[in-house]
Amino acid sequence: MQIQVKCSCGEGNCPEWAIVELQGVIEAQPSVQDRLQNLEIGCLCHTSSEGKYTFTVGYHELLGSKVPLKKPLLVLKKQKVGDIEPEKNGSSASSKIKLEVVGIIRQRILFKTRPRALISKPKPFVKEKISGPCPIVN
Amino acid sequence: MDEQPSCRGGAELVLNLESNSSIPINYDPNFGPHDDLILLEVDEKLLSDILQQRVTFRGQPDEEAVLCTPSKTYAVKFVGTSNTVFLIPPTNSPILNANADNEKETVAGSVLKVAPGNIELVEVAPKLDKLNSLLRKKPYRPEGKLELDEMEVEEMGKDNLGLFPWEDLVDRIQASDEELRAGLRALSAVEIDGSWGIVDEDYMNNLLTMLLNLSVSEGWSLSALKEDEVVGLMEAYGYPSKLVLHSLDMYGSKVSEDVNAGHLWTLDEKRVCVHFARGILRGGKRKMESFMEEWMRKIPPGMRASFDMLEGEVLVERLGVGTWVYAFSVSSMSCTPAERFSVLFRERQKWEWKDLEPYIKDLRVPGLSSEGLLLKYTRRTQPTKDSEPVFSAR
Repeated sequence: MQIQVKCSCGEGNCPEWAIVELQGVIEAQPSVQDRLQNLEIGCLCHTSSEGKYTFTVGYHELLGSKVPLKKPLLVLKKQKVGDIEPEKNGSSASSKIKLEVVGIIRQRILFKTRPRALISKPKPFVKEKISGPCPIVN
Repeated sequence: MDEQPSCRGGAELVLNLESNSSIPINYDPNFGPHDDLILLEVDEKLLSDILQQRVTFRGQPDEEAVLCTPSKTYAVKFVGTSNTVFLIPPTNSPILNANADNEKETVAGSVLKVAPGNIELVEVAPKLDKLNSLLRKKPYRPEGKLELDEMEVEEMGKDNLGLFPWEDLVDRIQASDEELRAGLRALSAVEIDGSWGIVDEDYMNNLLTMLLNLSVSEGWSLSALKEDEVVGLMEAYGYPSKLVLHSLDMYGSKVSEDVNAGHLWTLDEKRVCVHFARGILRGGKRKMESFMEEWMRKIPPGMRASFDMLEGEVLVERLGVGTWVYAFSVSSMSCTPAERFSVLFRERQKWEWKDLEPYIKDLRVPGLSSEGLLLKYTRRTQPTKDSEPVFSAR
């Protein structure tokens, strides 16, 4: 079978998505783990030096920078079509899959250092912490 | 507590954040696993193919999918990451199913998904072995008439005729269109009304023999066959023009497109000679002398056969005082190096380079030279400095 990769955005007009990437895992407190929607993760700050960023999560601060991807990433969306096609012989449940390009990612803001603890107390409603970073991935 | 601002997306805000300013990063109201969103890493060349919608994933449910551009095939590999990769769509991306109430100005980046990794593409050789076995298993036997009426075709199914519609091949074979066409050409497949098949060998043999007989009786030159004349007369003998043209293409080549004289074809000495050698050896191995005698007898006047023509087609073995020759054709072998070498070493434990070369020179693996192939799949031994190297299985 074949799955055509569709793209309705046309060359040069692909909406650009962003990636904020950090080492390790952000772990929400158990009380909010299953309802993260709308929750603030942290604050991204472009520092005074161009291309350098900080990301403050709770009382952790990460240092990072904006890096272009060596090869761009395309965001594809998988859709099932054909559910609406009970075609003649109805040959099995051959629900076809369609892949559509919905975006492109050309750069990411990468934090690859361990977090630095901020002295001040965290705002009480931020309920997240950073778990120990995993071994380097990049 | 303040209610979270209703801000969605915001990729461009995140990426274009001015120095000395900051922006909150939130989980989007739709945040979730979103398994339907896939990240695909592409280089710039592939990017333009994809944006111009010239790319498809191909494969059966039990096969590992490949991605095909018009001319190349790529293996698809998922590469996981242990980093946390927050995916932030652009503001008002339709993917967010934004409602009317969030038309307020976005002031945050909202994370739709944490990406577990991305798909990487690695260029690979097309998987044409399946094409080979599919077409060879069921050769096309023209039963005198080529144009079956539609009723009949429907009854029998084109598969039963040994003809496979292009769309079926594309569905079944993991290769790009260009590679698939090259594969069909290499198999000498014929196209009839958009379907492809390999013509039955006996049929092709009869057709070629008839053509050669006619050239003797009509005084045609084998290096300047007039297409109109040949096709016309062959049709009178019951051979459809499509297949006559196919045989001209299979055993020869077009030499001129002269408007007045019509197309001229020349038959290729080697291809014609090889055809007859194959025919003789289809019956099993033969003593060299008797093979050569019969082969020479079958060669049409004006052509000369030489044993070199059969490299990659036959092997010679010495048994006692006798020398035997038998068919061992590279064209029926797998194009996967591991399988190819395993067949070769099953046939013979040791190969000299001159014997081995015809059986591996067609192997193409992206990123691997033929020396690399030999290093990977064979062991090379050279008893003395001046002797020929010998290759055996690793």
